[in-house]
Amino acid sequence: MRRRNFLALAPAGLAMAATPKRGRVVTDSCGCAFQTQTGPLGMEAFADVPSGLKITGMKVFGVSLTPTSDRPYVFVKLETNQGIVGWGEGTLEGKAAAVMACVNDFRDFLIGADPMQVEHIWQSMYVHSFYRAGPVIGSAISGIDQALWDIRGKALGMPVYKLLGGPFDPRGVRGYYHLDGANRDQLIQLRQTAREQGITCFKGGIPGYYEWIERRPKIDRAIKALQLLRESLGPDIDIAVDFHAKTSPSVASIIVKEVEPLNLLFIEEPCPPENVPAMAKIARRSTTPIATGERLIAAYGCRELIEMGVVDILQTDINHTGGITALWKIAAAANVSSISMAPHACEGPIGGLATIHVDAAMPNFLVQEVCGLARLTDTDRVWQEWLGFPAMRMVDGRFPLSEKPGLGFEMSEASLAKYPFGGTRPMARVFHEDGSVAEW
Amino acid sequence: MSHLTLQRRARLRAGFVPQVAAAARPDPLGITEIRLFPVREPVSGIRYSLLKVTTRSGVTGWGECGYDPNWDVKALQSSWIGRPANAYATIAPSTPCGAALDMASLDILGKTAKAPVYRILGGPTRTKVRAYSSPYSRQFPVAVIDVPTPESRNQGKAYQNRIADLVNAVPADVDFVLAGNGRLSPGDAASVAATVEAKHPLWFDEPCSPSNIEALRKVSGETVVPLGFGSGIEDPGVFQTLLREGLVDLVRPDIGIFGISGVRRVAALAEPYYVAVAPRHSGGPIGTAAAIQLAASMPNFFIQHVPLPADERDRAMRREIVSPALENGKSGFLEVTNSPGLGITVNEAAVEKYHAS
Repeated sequence: MRRRNFLALAPAGLAMAATPKRGRVVTDSCGCAFQTQTGPLGMEAFADVPSGLKITGMKVFGVSLTPTSDRPYVFVKLETNQGIVGWGEGTLEGKAAAVMACVNDFRDFLIGADPMQVEHIWQSMYVHSFYRAGPVIGSAISGIDQALWDIRGKALGMPVYKLLGGPFDPRGVRGYYHLDGANRDQLIQLRQTAREQGITCFKGGIPGYYEWIERRPKIDRAIKALQLLRESLGPDIDIAVDFHAKTSPSVASIIVKEVEPLNLLFIEEPCPPENVPAMAKIARRSTTPIATGERLIAAYGCRELIEMGVVDILQTDINHTGGITALWKIAAAANVSSISMAPHACEGPIGGLATIHVDAAMPNFLVQEVCGLARLTDTDRVWQEWLGFPAMRMVDGRFPLSEKPGLGFEMSEASLAKYPFGGTRPMARVFHEDGSVAEW
Repeated sequence: MSHLTLQRRARLRAGFVPQVAAAARPDPLGITEIRLFPVREPVSGIRYSLLKVTTRSGVTGWGECGYDPNWDVKALQSSWIGRPANAYATIAPSTPCGAALDMASLDILGKTAKAPVYRILGGPTRTKVRAYSSPYSRQFPVAVIDVPTPESRNQGKAYQNRIADLVNAVPADVDFVLAGNGRLSPGDAASVAATVEAKHPLWFDEPCSPSNIEALRKVSGETVVPLGFGSGIEDPGVFQTLLREGLVDLVRPDIGIFGISGVRRVAALAEPYYVAVAPRHSGGPIGTAAAIQLAASMPNFFIQHVPLPADERDRAMRREIVSPALENGKSGFLEVTNSPGLGITVNEAAVEKYHAS
């Protein structure tokens, strides 16, 4: 009986603790009590160390390159009292409207705040979101964070990679395009293109969708597809292969072992990202480097992978993981475990340009993804139109660094207006032969 | 588990109040009768137990569990007659023939709602059910290779060659399962796995007993052949250990032990490890009907074993007991139907005919 009494008392104790001591109390239908808060809290504590800059406005743009795009870009623009503006990107594939709403939810954290205090504002957005950050909050923080770094670089008159202490290599950061070739002839042609352009690396994928245990025709087909890549592209080009978490640890382990002789640069997401020991099961049975992390948020989300030294390469995405602030910290932590960085970036040009700055200042940088192709696409042309230069196009296999302050570009709202927000569109939904849900 | 942990959990349990409230009026789904029919296939001699549950409203449900001459039917009856047949989640793990009670309970629930069991459980998650049988049947193009134990210790290459011959006899377009039947030593199991690895077997079933974790670590660490376990496992905690240690690629809870909802709970446990489920089934056609409902309610189902007796007289018995005949596959798959409950009609006279205590 005594024990039951103990439990019965617990709710009363909690209610007492929640009663605020001062401030206006709002009680909603759940009986929870809150102290109302307006404006960027805590700013008065920094009144004696002002930078003179204040955020005066925030705009969020949904930008659809095509009316049915599954990844409308989510751009954030922050305006300041001194005319400096900053741009950032929080594109989240398949969930554009949610991120746009979430960015707006952070308005009270920003208007009136000092944009130079990036680290302080990041902490407030992450910690004071209470539930911490999943992909929606993470992408919203990413967009805001990039814009804050852009402002700070412009205010201090230097590119962001210099604020971060780089560059390691003034020639730029090494990158790879996605493979663009369905058969041997096209791949051999691509090898020639790579020679001409100085491209040193490509990334491909495996065909089809996989159940968690798989039949041998499918496994054989995947192995043959990867063998074809090496045969056609030759021994000198680095080949990365994205499994895209289509495979379970069980199926991935089989394919990974069979393709060891192909000497791949890395295999990406051989299984889904939620279970670190499952990923470890693949990595410890393979000599091929394993990469993962594009879906992980902040260093908190990568901590277990890093401390266990499970994978060889981390791929956190500057548009989801929490922006520049989160990406450099993840790189720093990964470096302690001798883990390399190959950041993912498959969204718009702002995140792409931002990630180059962080790459340039990483001691453990390996290679930068861009979801473009060796040949120019319509997307490349739109980005050029927006920014006035060929953003995310490599020169001699590297993304060049800019000397301009901040993230190194100017963009007009008017140029975006040509591509109005087409609404959130779902990402691909694929199914197995029996109609059950498949990973893609 | 530490002493303090046990103490904390005991304290929480002490706070639980039994949730059974006296029914205000007679529950139409109150159980009025429970009958258990052990049956035996005439030629193979394989035994399993069929359970019939009757409710006040007249709706009846059928289930199946493994055969055990010591099933305490009286204990089952005394604890369940009068209780609501639909409350399948409240069946205690120790209930005699609990797997059959679970199936019967879901059968009744489905018939009451005029819906297949998979709909009660939030399915269908698929439109057809991949299946394999032993002995091999052309309707299911998956071969099961029974792995022989070596005739003596340290046979080395000769033993590996013997295994390779068995695997090479399987046509390249037919998938195969290696059945170790839990008889191999860890060293022999690892040797067999290494021999067949490049042939990509679907999985290696029961390469050795799962009781020795370090032995499994050896097999799993040396090769990438997927491993399947489930034979004789009655405690979900064993599956949890195998999953946590990364030593299983296919969990195989027995539908005759766990019932539909028990297998489903193990499947839920396996999901966050990206581990698929292939329920074991060594019983009769009611079990097959339940397995189809189960497969159509799980996201991570891979394949269902169907016991197809070799002798026509045994197959006739299965057809007599249950209609329609669900065990006929097409291109390796069983059909998912839209009939209520387990989707079958049980012929009680036929059950009586094969009744063998």
